[in-house]
Amino acid sequence: MDLVLQLLFTGIGIGAVYALVALGFVLIFRATNVVNFAQGEFSMVAAYLMVVCVELGLPYWLSFVIALAGMALLGVIFNLGVYYPLRHRTYLPVIIATIGASILLSNSVLAIYGPQPQVLQGWFDTPGIQLGPVYLDSQYLLIIGVTIFLVLFNFWFFEKTLLGKKLQATSQDKEMASLLGISVSTMIMITFIYSAVLGGLAGILVAPVLFVSIQMGSTIALKAFAATIIGGFGDVAGAIVGGLALGVIETFGAAYISVPYKDGFAFLVLIAFLVFRPQGIFGERVAEKA
Amino acid sequence: MPLLEIRNLVVRYGEIEALRGVTIAVEQGQVVTLLGANGAGKSTTLRAISGLAKPASGDILFDGHSIAGLGPEAIVRLGISHVPEGRRVFPGLTVKENIMLGASNRKVSASQISREADAMFDLFPDIRAFSNALGWTLSGGQLQMVAVARGLMAKPRLLLLDEPSLGLAPVIVQAVFRIISQIRKDTTVLLVEQNARMGLSVADHGFVLETGRIVLGGKPDELWGNEAIAAAYLGGHAKTHA
Repeated sequence: MDLVLQLLFTGIGIGAVYALVALGFVLIFRATNVVNFAQGEFSMVAAYLMVVCVELGLPYWLSFVIALAGMALLGVIFNLGVYYPLRHRTYLPVIIATIGASILLSNSVLAIYGPQPQVLQGWFDTPGIQLGPVYLDSQYLLIIGVTIFLVLFNFWFFEKTLLGKKLQATSQDKEMASLLGISVSTMIMITFIYSAVLGGLAGILVAPVLFVSIQMGSTIALKAFAATIIGGFGDVAGAIVGGLALGVIETFGAAYISVPYKDGFAFLVLIAFLVFRPQGIFGERVAEKA
Repeated sequence: MPLLEIRNLVVRYGEIEALRGVTIAVEQGQVVTLLGANGAGKSTTLRAISGLAKPASGDILFDGHSIAGLGPEAIVRLGISHVPEGRRVFPGLTVKENIMLGASNRKVSASQISREADAMFDLFPDIRAFSNALGWTLSGGQLQMVAVARGLMAKPRLLLLDEPSLGLAPVIVQAVFRIISQIRKDTTVLLVEQNARMGLSVADHGFVLETGRIVLGGKPDELWGNEAIAAAYLGGHAKTHA
């Protein structure tokens, strides 16, 4: 039982990272009808920004702020350079452009930093606390805390603010939104900035748990993408639930079945969903929201 | 000076010339109805005015200034509100949220917009009860009410209404047209209709479009009076009425 609780904690912690990246996927998909294949690279770039700032001797919190500001800027550049010139085309050129951007980002980091994985220390000096039978790692606590905050923020922003409603309107019918005087290009810019920051946050938070490497982005992104399909593609709640579920499943799979096949469990679940419930957990709601 | 003046407007979709030199004028305070068959260019005319379709040549003057070539976001800020064909109510937002977003062209606070949206239900009492219902759950008539209410939230000087009666039961059509005759007290309206009888019943002036050209214009009585043209362009109702 103790082990189960311990695994559950770790699983939710890692699942929260998938959830954040998955949320970025979903928000961009809803605004532009395109899957952003560079979403994982947002996490990787942010983790490297963090490593650079910390190595320069900046305080951890300042590095954090700079890395997130850098991600916001990357969101702007990404929108203007990758999406905006192709916005009147079909989804295919845009998807290919995001794949190109993903390769560009990872190879740029590779050229600057080399292939050796980097280590990023955690936010807290204390490694964790013992709560009854469960050891709560401080970094996982931080990840879970930030994710809870962001889920609440996301709900408040999209459901309670006029800007959130304008973003939703834009994702549902761009032409109608523009007829009402909503600046569609501004709304899409905001979406890219927000998604880049979300992806960046996930990368910064998970970096101390994993290694900071060129490949970390694609690994996280694949899991997050699987999470969005499991949750119900295009659904915000689905992305979060799918991400958490995937984290828990792979942690238990690693503990009880096989450690080397840890990454395989996520995709086994994905395949099971694609065969038996392709619309995902919240599938019906997607149709309503579309 | 007319509030809206369209001069020799040509709009092309690729090779196809949807409008081939349309000239119309809408005076301040009037309801002007644009009639014509499917594909005559009625919707294209409205889309060109609101900036969704780019004119190939000709000019569109609003209040004496050219708006041809401006984007839809800029045009609605000048005071032209377009309620497009098919209602286009946001399916994932509630009725009230849809109506509130109609004020996106104006710089007013969210609380003010919320109050104005509540006041809008006085004009549209039938949808008040559905204030918190999502757009996709509504019937065609309710969607039309929401679309018009949302269009009015822009506080337009000119309201463009595209086929408000399309697909609605006769009793609902009458309710929609009652609202149009109420709106006209404050707003100039350019109305596109296939239902000629209803369209002309509220109009001060009518134009008939045929394959991208204006073939006839005049007061509703004159249009009904021209029997041959009425029969050809105004549909089956014309004979009984004329």
